[in-house]
Amino acid sequence: MLLNRARAFILVLAVAALLPRAVVSQTPAVDPSDALFDDTVLHDINLTINDRDLASLHVNFLSNEYYPVNFAWRGMSLQGVGIRSRGTGSRSGVKPGLRIDFDRYATEQRFLGLKSVIFRNQTQDPSHLRERLSMLFFRRMGMKAEREAHARLFFKNSYAGLYSIVESVDKVFLKKNFGEDTSNLYEFAFDNSVGHVPFVFKYLGSDANLYVPVPFKPETKENDTQPQFIERLIWTIDQAGDASWRQTIAEFLDLPKFIRHLAIESFLAEEDGLTGDYGPNNFYFYRYEGKSLFQFIPWDKSNTFWEAPSPNYFILRNVEDGPVDHRNRLVQRALKYPDLWTLYLDTLEECANSASAGATTGANPQPGWLAAEIQREYLQIRDAALADTLIFTNAEFEKAIADLKVFAAGRSDAVKAQVAAYRARGPLP
Amino acid sequence: MLIRLLLAAWLCVIAAPGEAADVQNDQPTADAAKPGKKAKAKDQSKPNDPAKPKKQKKPKSNVPAPDELIDPDGPIDPNLVEQGDGGGGWRFSWKQHPSVRYGSVFRLDGQAKFQEDARSTYEGAVDVPGWELHRNRIGISGHLFKKVEYEVERELTEKELTDKDILAGVTPASHWKDVNVNLTFVKNAQVQVGKFKVPFGLDQLTGVTRNDFIFRSLGANYLAPARDIGAMVHGRFFKHGLNYWAGVFQHDGDNARSKKIQGGDQTFAARVTGMPFRKIASGSIAAIEVGSSFAISALSDDSFRPNGLRGRTVVSQDTFAEPVYVKGRRRRWEADADWAAGPFAARTEYTWVSDDRNGQGLGDENLPDARARSWYVAGVWVVTAEDKMRPLRPAADFLQGGWGAVEVVARMERLWYDSVGPAGVAFRNPRAETILPTGDRVVTVGANWILNRFTKLQVNVIREHLEDSDRNPVTNGGALWSRIVRLQFVL
Repeated sequence: MLLNRARAFILVLAVAALLPRAVVSQTPAVDPSDALFDDTVLHDINLTINDRDLASLHVNFLSNEYYPVNFAWRGMSLQGVGIRSRGTGSRSGVKPGLRIDFDRYATEQRFLGLKSVIFRNQTQDPSHLRERLSMLFFRRMGMKAEREAHARLFFKNSYAGLYSIVESVDKVFLKKNFGEDTSNLYEFAFDNSVGHVPFVFKYLGSDANLYVPVPFKPETKENDTQPQFIERLIWTIDQAGDASWRQTIAEFLDLPKFIRHLAIESFLAEEDGLTGDYGPNNFYFYRYEGKSLFQFIPWDKSNTFWEAPSPNYFILRNVEDGPVDHRNRLVQRALKYPDLWTLYLDTLEECANSASAGATTGANPQPGWLAAEIQREYLQIRDAALADTLIFTNAEFEKAIADLKVFAAGRSDAVKAQVAAYRARGPLP
Repeated sequence: MLIRLLLAAWLCVIAAPGEAADVQNDQPTADAAKPGKKAKAKDQSKPNDPAKPKKQKKPKSNVPAPDELIDPDGPIDPNLVEQGDGGGGWRFSWKQHPSVRYGSVFRLDGQAKFQEDARSTYEGAVDVPGWELHRNRIGISGHLFKKVEYEVERELTEKELTDKDILAGVTPASHWKDVNVNLTFVKNAQVQVGKFKVPFGLDQLTGVTRNDFIFRSLGANYLAPARDIGAMVHGRFFKHGLNYWAGVFQHDGDNARSKKIQGGDQTFAARVTGMPFRKIASGSIAAIEVGSSFAISALSDDSFRPNGLRGRTVVSQDTFAEPVYVKGRRRRWEADADWAAGPFAARTEYTWVSDDRNGQGLGDENLPDARARSWYVAGVWVVTAEDKMRPLRPAADFLQGGWGAVEVVARMERLWYDSVGPAGVAFRNPRAETILPTGDRVVTVGANWILNRFTKLQVNVIREHLEDSDRNPVTNGGALWSRIVRLQFVL
């Protein structure tokens, strides 16, 4: 009897092994939200909102008060959605940036599987394109980054301006990109008050509350913030001895991945990122479940393409120059290692090649990928942007686009030239 | 910490044998003008119950406890006031309260109330301190020329606003509690002016130091108005057989407001209580007092935040009913019954509130009224067999030949919110045409140990069940259990 059962079990295993696994594994998971972030079209989104709420949204734009709306897109409608004003430097009473929470009033409510999205008002970017281009470039370079598309926003069918729809970094994003969503996610909450000393990953002491909730603001598990992991990470970054640093930091960070993130920002001339002019800024931080390992996630790339039309943004800005107390300690220590230094330069070169891919010269010159993408997106949003003069004039918009094109045309060569110069010099002293 | 030490020292002092039993009946008559306290006063003036067991204990003295009332209908007894030194002129005494008097013309009593809580609730609750100085109030009261009573009370530990609160436009809670004068020239039409409780709701009008439970019912805390600034006329007829209060107020009470909720505006409120069975029945039935209250308030949508009523859990203060946008009128109605016989007492109360929602739809259309309702049923048994009164007076004080008085209490209640009109698809958002019903069902059991007239120890165990699982802070829709111990000192 037992033998027969064993034979039957083995037979079942054998049959299972012969099943067409390839068929199963090749079936892509359909993400319904892809349609909302389809960047081949300009979306139209209509919010039905009480008149008093709409007025309040503009007047009380510094408040995080939520207002209920009905959300409509492509004939689909969702009732009971919460919106609020958002942003730090981009907060505006003229053209409020918006956070749209589909689950604000019903925990399980989703729209196309999403809990929330951001409507970025682009008050700091007359071109409207910097952030979308940047996130697309991150993904093009194989990094996890938010999906984006542009949309015309309407309040009660009245045009309210051109916005970019930005994927929220939340549990849905974590699950989609990292396969898990159960651990701690933090937003780096930059303190931009006058006279502040930026947090540059310098060790502040053994009290974990010095790091959480400021500057690391819990976005998940608010009642179980696990700040001790952050404290250990910062201690390791800043205090661990040189002899053991690489080995110790490996428990907390995938350094090659971090260096890749850094290099992409640098190529994009990001003035307000990991090595920003005001100290490190604009990233989320996720700790993997059951581990000490953290993951950087890029956020808010409105200040990329800095100094455009000039393509010469320094690849070691705020690393070798800038105020000393604004320099990122993690970057400072990592780029002392020859292998990481080389990886940084290699990645910059890879970025340059990727951005200029497809470019040809001669009688019928073709633009590289980045320049072509700028042109494609420009044509997509042009009419909507020209109709939206809440923040920028049409002339400012057109000039900003022209500047981006000049930047894109010259950035790859400029970066390659800087990389060549610094290869010869070697890592940070 | 300093306050706790002072309280501990205080306990030692008052627990020691002394002259407490010799304290004079020198209660501030301003208390008597409070509508809620009047309701309590009948506890001490109820007709004798023929069915009362002979073995029931009697208090050693007829001296009232610190927050106990004398008969509010009775005149201020100049003989009583003058008792002691006798005669006119300035003098100071400290028996029940520290008191400064000038003959029978002027009197000023100092008062203090302290409540220290030890709390525990469900795991993961946010901002629930294990220890809290729940109340820390001082005040004065007294009279001028026997016809002008006054009272001033201030909370010393009201939480201050943070910079973030101020930036967000939230307004601070007032530190001032009762600040009023009561004119008693016409006994059946006394006039009270200042800040005091809007005459609405039996439980809300019961002084917190006299309550049978550590916390008032949810309906009393979130539907009844509580204090506001206004003017009121009140009186009673037929020796407590009929009592009335009617007044107009600037707003609709502290309970309708919060840091973020503006609350209602001009309010008219009236309350009537009576003992309808006194003439037609005998025994314990005759002791039943029934009451009803009504209030109507103007509601604006001037604030950009929702101006409706909210509902929160008892201890953890988790919001299970967010305020909705309202505009128009707020109407409150309440009915209650109060009964006591010997060592037993029971109370019940039903409250109904509806708010207009004119122009509050997403398309600026009118919405069906928002509605909130509550009820509770509560019972008390004095185990040590004293007659049930509020406050309860021990037959023999602790460490003065006895153990004080002990009573056990239980209460069932419900507070719930929805909207009127035909049921449509319900939503939780504050402009939903049909508001998704949400509520809290609470059972409280506990015991009170009254050591002496100054000191009371209360223990409550509270079970709450939120009806909307989406708003339940406990995973899997479980019940919220809380345990609270309160030590109360009243001077």
